[in-house]
Amino acid sequence: MIATAAFYVFAAILIASAAMVVSARNPVHAVLFLILAFFNAAALFLLLGAEFLAMILVIVYVGAVAVLFLFVVMMLDINFAEMREGFQRYLPVGAAIGVVLLVELAAVLTGWKFAPGIATTRAAPMSALTNTAQLGRLIYTDYIFLFQVSGLVLLVAMIGAIVLTLRDRRPSATISRRQNIAVQIARTSADTMVMMDVPTRGPTMAHIKPLVTEPGEELADPIDTHAHHGGH
Amino acid sequence: MLLAVAVLAPLFGSMIAGLLGRAIGDRAAQAVTILCMLLASVCGVSAFVSLVYGSATPGVVVLGEWVSAGEFHANWALRYDTLSAVMVAMVTCVATLIHIYSIGYMSHDKSIARFFSYLSLFTFAMLALVTADNLLQLFFGWEGVGLASYLLIGFWYDRPAARAAAMKAFVVNRIGDLGFAAGIALIFFIFGSIEFSTIFAGLSQHVNDVYHVLGTDFRAYEVIGILLFIGAMGKSAQLGLHVWLPDAMEGPTPVSALIHAATMVTAGVFLMSRMSPLLDFAPGAMHFVTFMGASTALFAATVACTQNDIKRVIAYSTCSQLGYMFVAAGVGAYQVSMFHLLTHAFFKALLFLGAGSVIHAMSNEQDMRKMGGIWKMIPLTYVAMWIGNLALAGVPPFAGYFSKDAILEAAWASHSLVGHYGFWCCLIAAFLTAFYSWRLLIMTFHGAPRADHHTMEHVHESPWAMTVPLILLAAGAVLTGFSFADQIIGEDWHAFWGDAIGVAASNHILADMAAVPAVVSMAPTVLGLLGIATAYAFYMVWPAIPGRLAASLPGLYRFLLNKWYFDELYDATIVQPASRLARRLWRIDGEVIDGMPNGVARLTADGSSQIVKLQTGSIANYAFAMLIGVVALVSLYLIVG
Amino acid sequence: MNWTVAIPEIALACLGMAILMFGVLSKARNTFHICSLMTVGALVLTAALVLSSNGGLGYNGLFLADSYAMFAKLLVLAAAVLGVIVSIDYNEHNDLRRFEFPVLMLYATVGMMIMVSASNLMSLYMGLELQSLSIYVLAAFARDDLRSSEAGLKYFVLGALASGLLLYGISLIYGFSGSMAFDQLALVLSDSSHASPGLIVGIVFVVAGLAFKISAVPFHMWTPDVYEGAPTPVTAFMATAPKVAAVALFVRVMISPFGHLLAQWQQLIVLIAMASMVLGAFAAIGQSNIKRLMAYSSIGHMGYILVGLAAGTQQGVRGVLIYLVTYVFTNAGMFACIIAMRRRGRAVERIADLGGLWRSDPGMAAALTIFLFSMAGLPPFSGFIGKYFVFGAAMQSGLVTLAVVGVLASAVSAYYYIRIIKVMYFDAPEPAFDVRPASLSIVAGAGALFTLIFFLFPAPVVAAAEAAAKGLFG
Repeated sequence: MIATAAFYVFAAILIASAAMVVSARNPVHAVLFLILAFFNAAALFLLLGAEFLAMILVIVYVGAVAVLFLFVVMMLDINFAEMREGFQRYLPVGAAIGVVLLVELAAVLTGWKFAPGIATTRAAPMSALTNTAQLGRLIYTDYIFLFQVSGLVLLVAMIGAIVLTLRDRRPSATISRRQNIAVQIARTSADTMVMMDVPTRGPTMAHIKPLVTEPGEELADPIDTHAHHGGH
Repeated sequence: MLLAVAVLAPLFGSMIAGLLGRAIGDRAAQAVTILCMLLASVCGVSAFVSLVYGSATPGVVVLGEWVSAGEFHANWALRYDTLSAVMVAMVTCVATLIHIYSIGYMSHDKSIARFFSYLSLFTFAMLALVTADNLLQLFFGWEGVGLASYLLIGFWYDRPAARAAAMKAFVVNRIGDLGFAAGIALIFFIFGSIEFSTIFAGLSQHVNDVYHVLGTDFRAYEVIGILLFIGAMGKSAQLGLHVWLPDAMEGPTPVSALIHAATMVTAGVFLMSRMSPLLDFAPGAMHFVTFMGASTALFAATVACTQNDIKRVIAYSTCSQLGYMFVAAGVGAYQVSMFHLLTHAFFKALLFLGAGSVIHAMSNEQDMRKMGGIWKMIPLTYVAMWIGNLALAGVPPFAGYFSKDAILEAAWASHSLVGHYGFWCCLIAAFLTAFYSWRLLIMTFHGAPRADHHTMEHVHESPWAMTVPLILLAAGAVLTGFSFADQIIGEDWHAFWGDAIGVAASNHILADMAAVPAVVSMAPTVLGLLGIATAYAFYMVWPAIPGRLAASLPGLYRFLLNKWYFDELYDATIVQPASRLARRLWRIDGEVIDGMPNGVARLTADGSSQIVKLQTGSIANYAFAMLIGVVALVSLYLIVG
Repeated sequence: MNWTVAIPEIALACLGMAILMFGVLSKARNTFHICSLMTVGALVLTAALVLSSNGGLGYNGLFLADSYAMFAKLLVLAAAVLGVIVSIDYNEHNDLRRFEFPVLMLYATVGMMIMVSASNLMSLYMGLELQSLSIYVLAAFARDDLRSSEAGLKYFVLGALASGLLLYGISLIYGFSGSMAFDQLALVLSDSSHASPGLIVGIVFVVAGLAFKISAVPFHMWTPDVYEGAPTPVTAFMATAPKVAAVALFVRVMISPFGHLLAQWQQLIVLIAMASMVLGAFAAIGQSNIKRLMAYSSIGHMGYILVGLAAGTQQGVRGVLIYLVTYVFTNAGMFACIIAMRRRGRAVERIADLGGLWRSDPGMAAALTIFLFSMAGLPPFSGFIGKYFVFGAAMQSGLVTLAVVGVLASAVSAYYYIRIIKVMYFDAPEPAFDVRPASLSIVAGAGALFTLIFFLFPAPVVAAAEAAAKGLFG
C-alpha cells in the first residue's frame, strides 16, 4: 500500500519535472528539473528492488551527465529569446503529434496482456545474491559479448572526443598544451618559489616570482603560468 | 553443302567490301566480291546440275535454330529442290555477270567498294529468299532484297530524284509486304507452322477452313492466296503497285539489270510457284492473279510505246513481262511461269546491260530522241540489243519465243473466262512488245544522229568488262529457250521439277496446252512479226507518222505518255490527303502528345523544387519530420492493419 | 559457449587497437598513410577470416554467423576497403591526415559486422551504436570546416533520436513478447494470435529507427545535408558500407524474428519503399551539387532495395543482396570520380564543374558514364540486373503497384543521371581537373569494369546471394 502510494508520488513528480525540463524558461532550471527527474527515476528503481540501478542512475546521470549539462548550459552563450520563439513556433505541431501518439499508444496499451510464453522465459529469482552480484555474473558470462562491444563503443567515443577537440599536434597551434605529469609531480616548492625578505608595507604579491621550470615549455608571458600549472 | 557455299559466299564478299572497303581499297573490294560471286555461281550451277542431271537428292540443309518461342519455331535452313536450285543457278550466274559488268560501268564512280558491297548483299538476300525453307526466312530475304534495292536505287544519294525514287520503292513495297506478312500470320494461324513441308503436308486437312471477317466467311486458302499475291504485287510491280519500278531506273544501270529485271522483281512469281500446292486449292485467288497479271501485261506494254527514256521503256517492258508470268501462274502453269522467268532474266538483263552500254557510249544520255545513227560505232552492243529484242518479241528460235508462246497456250487452254481475258491481253501485248522493242532499237541506233557532235565524237564501244557479260547473256538469251523447253514445260516436266512444284490432281494444264489449236500457237509469233513491221514502217520508212498520230489522238497520246495518270491519281487520292493528315497530326503531336511529356517534365521539376523546399537544414524540422513519420506509420498500422 | 564464431570481429577489433597504439606511440611525424595501409591489411585479413570461419550461434544466442551474415560481411569489408583507399589521397590534400581516421573506419566496420551477425535485439543495438558513433565522428572529422562540423552534429542529434525510437520499439517488443532473441521471438510469433498490437507498434518503431539508418523516407532528412557537409571520402564510406550493413540488418530483423508477421509489416515497407523511390527520383532533379545529388540517389536506391524486402520472400532477399553488390561497386567507383574532382588543389563538387569533361579526361568521363547509366538502371549495366531481381521478386509476390511505381521512378531518375552525362559530353569545357592519383583511378576503374561486365558473369554473385538468402530463411 505504501509502496503503491510512493510509486504514484514519485511517478507524478517524475512526469511533472520532465514536463518542466522542456518548458522551463531558464535552461539552468531545466537542467535542475532534469536532475530531479533522475532522482525520482532512481526512487522508482528502488521501489522495484533494483538498488544497484538506482545508485548507478544517481551516480552516473546526476553526478556526471547532468552536472556536465549544467556546466555546458552555463558556459555557452545561448540566446534564450530565440529558443523560446522556436519552441512556440513548433508547439502546435509538436503538441498535435504528441497527442496523436499518446492516443495511439493508449489505444494499444489498453490491450496489454502478457505473452503466454513469458513466464517460461523469465529467470528464477536468485535471492541468495545481491543485485550487484547478479548483474556482475550476468555481464561477465551471458552478456560478455555486449559488455565488450560497449567497451568498443566507449573506445570510439574516446577517440572521437580526442580527434574532434585535441589540437596540439599542429606545429603552429598554441591553443592547448600537453601536460607532463611526471614533471608536474616531481616539482618541489623550491623550484617554483623563491622566498624573499620584503618590507612589510610593500605590495603583497611582488615577492613571489614565477620561474620557468618545465622543460620544453617556452612561455612568452609569465602571468600565464598560474593557469597553466593548475593543470587541465 | 554446295548450296550453303553459294548462299553465303556473297554475304562474305559483301561484308569484306562493306566493312573493310575503305581499308583494302576499291580494287581489292571488287576482286573479293567478284571472286566470291564466281565461287557462288560455280557452286550454284553445280548444285543445279547435280540435282537435275546427277545423283543428288532434294533435301533441307539446316544451318541453325533461329527463333524458338513457345510453339513457334523457325530455323535457318536451305531448301534444296529444283525450284530453289534453278533460281540459285540463275541468280548467281546473272549476278556474277553483272558484277563483272559493273567494273566497267562504275569505273568512274567515287564509292566503288560500297556499290559492290550492296550488290553482293542483294545477291545474298535474294539467295536467302529462294532457298528459304520456311516463310519467315523467305520474308527475311524478301525484306533483305527490299533493303538492298532501296540502297542501290538511292546509290547516288546526292541526286534528289534518286533519293525520292528509293523512298518511293521502299514505301510502295511496304504496302505489299504488309499483305505478305498478314498472309504468313494467317498460315501460321491455320497450319501451326511456317515450314513449307509442314504446310504442304497439312493441306488436305484445312481445305474447308473458313476465315470469318466482316461478317462473311471466306475460305482461308483464298484469303491466304490473295494476301500472298498482294505481297507479290508489290515486289513484282503489278498494276496498282507498279509505280515504283519505272522510277527505280534512277539507280545505276547494272542495278536495274540485276534487281529490276532479272531477280528481285521475279520474287513474286517465285513465291507463287513456291506456294503452288496451296494456291491450287484457291481458284478464286488464282483468277484474281490471272486478271491482274493480264491487265499489267497490257497496261505496261501500252505505256512503253510512248516513253522516250531508254531505261523506262525497258522498265515498262519488265512490268509487262512480269504480268505474263502471273498469267501463267494464275492459270496453274507454274512451270511455264518459271520458264519465262528464267528466259526473261537472261534477255532482260541483256537488254538493260545493252542500254547501259549505249548510255555509257552516249556520255550518260538516256533520252532516245537524242540518239540515233550510232549502230556502226558500237556494233557489239547493237548486235546484243538485237538478240535481246528478238527474244523479247518472241521471235523463234530465241528464248522468249518458247516461254511466251507457252504462256499464251496455257491461258487459252485454261478454258476459263479470265483465262481468255488473259490470252487476249497477252496477245495484244505481244504485238505492242514487238512494236516498242523495234521503236527502241531504231530510235537508238538508226536514222540521223540527233546528239550534238561533241557527244558523237566520244561514242565508243564499251570495255571488255562490259562486253563480255553482254556476249554471255546474249548466248543465254539464244540458248535457254530451246535447250530447256522440253524439260521444263514438256511432257516429262515431273522428271525435271520433282516435287518442287506440286500441283493438284485436277491441274492438268500442261497436258491441255499440247491440244490447243495451231492458230493459237501461231498467233503471238505472227503478231510479233507484225509489230516489228509496224515499227519499221513508222520509224524507219515514214518517220513522220508517229508525230502525226500523236497529234491526231492527243488525248490517247497524253494518257499513255503520262502512264495512265497513275502517279497523278495516287498523288491526288493518297499522297496529298496523307500529307495533309500528317501535317494535322504533326500539329496535334506538337501540342498534345509532346505537351504531355513536357507537362509531366515541368510538373516533375516543380515537384522537385517543392520537395527540396522541405529540406530546410534545421535539425528541429528534421526531427519533426521523423516523428511525424513514426506517427503516420503507427496510424497506418492501426487504421489499415 | 561457442566464442570462436566471432573470431573475425575480435581479430579486427584487436588489430584496430594495435593500429591505434602504433599511431599514438609512433615517433614518425605523419602516421596517417601507414595506418591507412595497415587498416586495409587488417580488413583484408578479416575478410579471409570470415571466409574460413565456422558458422553457428554463439555468445548465449547473441551472435549468429550464418551464410547470410558471411555474404553481408564480405560486402561490408569490400566496401570498407574501397572507402579507406579513396580516403588516403583526399585526406593528404585536405589537411585531414590523422591516423584516427582509418581507425574510426575500422571500428565502424566492426560495428557493421556485429550488426549483420546480430541475433538479438540487444546486440543489434550495440552494433548499430558502434557503427553510428564512429561515423558521427568521421562526418565531423574536418572540424575546422563549418559544414563538416554541422554535418556531424546533425547526424549525431538525429541519430540519437532514431536510436531513441529504436530502443523504445525494442522495449515494447520485449514487453509484449518477453524476449529479445530472434529465435525466441520467431517461436512466440509463429502463432499469430500472440502478435498483440503493442508488439506491432514496437515493430513500427524499430522500423523507423532502422529506416533512419538506411535513410529511407520519411527518415531521410539528414542525408543530403550530411552527405554534402561531410568530407567526401566519409560520404563515400557512408553511402556504401553502412548502407549494406543496415540493409542486411533490416532484412534480417524483418524476416528472421518477424517473418510470420509479414502481413502486418508488408504495407509499411511498401509505403516507405514507394516514398523513397519517388522522393529520390524527384528531389534530385533540382540539385546542382553532386554530393547532394548522390544523397538523393542513395535514398532512391534504398527504396528499390526495400522493394525486394517488401516481397518478403527468398527471391526478394536474393534480389536485395544482388542489388547491394551492384550498388556498392557502382557507388564506390562513382565517389572515387567525385573525389578526383579537384582543381588547383581545391575540391570542387558542382555538377557544372564536370562540363566538357569528355575532352579533358575521356577515361573519367567514360567511367562516370558507366556508373550513371548503371544507376539509372539501363541494361546491360549491373544496376539493371539488381533492379531486375528486386522488381521480379516484387511481381512474384503480387506487389504490382509497387513495381510499377518503381519502374516509373526509375524512369524519372534516369533524367538527372543522364543530364550529368549530357553535361560531360555536350557542355562548354571547364578547366581540366588536377592529375588523379593512382588509388582513385584503380577504384574507379575496378568499379567501372565490374559495372560493365557484371551482366556477363552474374552467376557467382547470384549463387552466393541465393545461398545467403536460403541461410536466412533456414
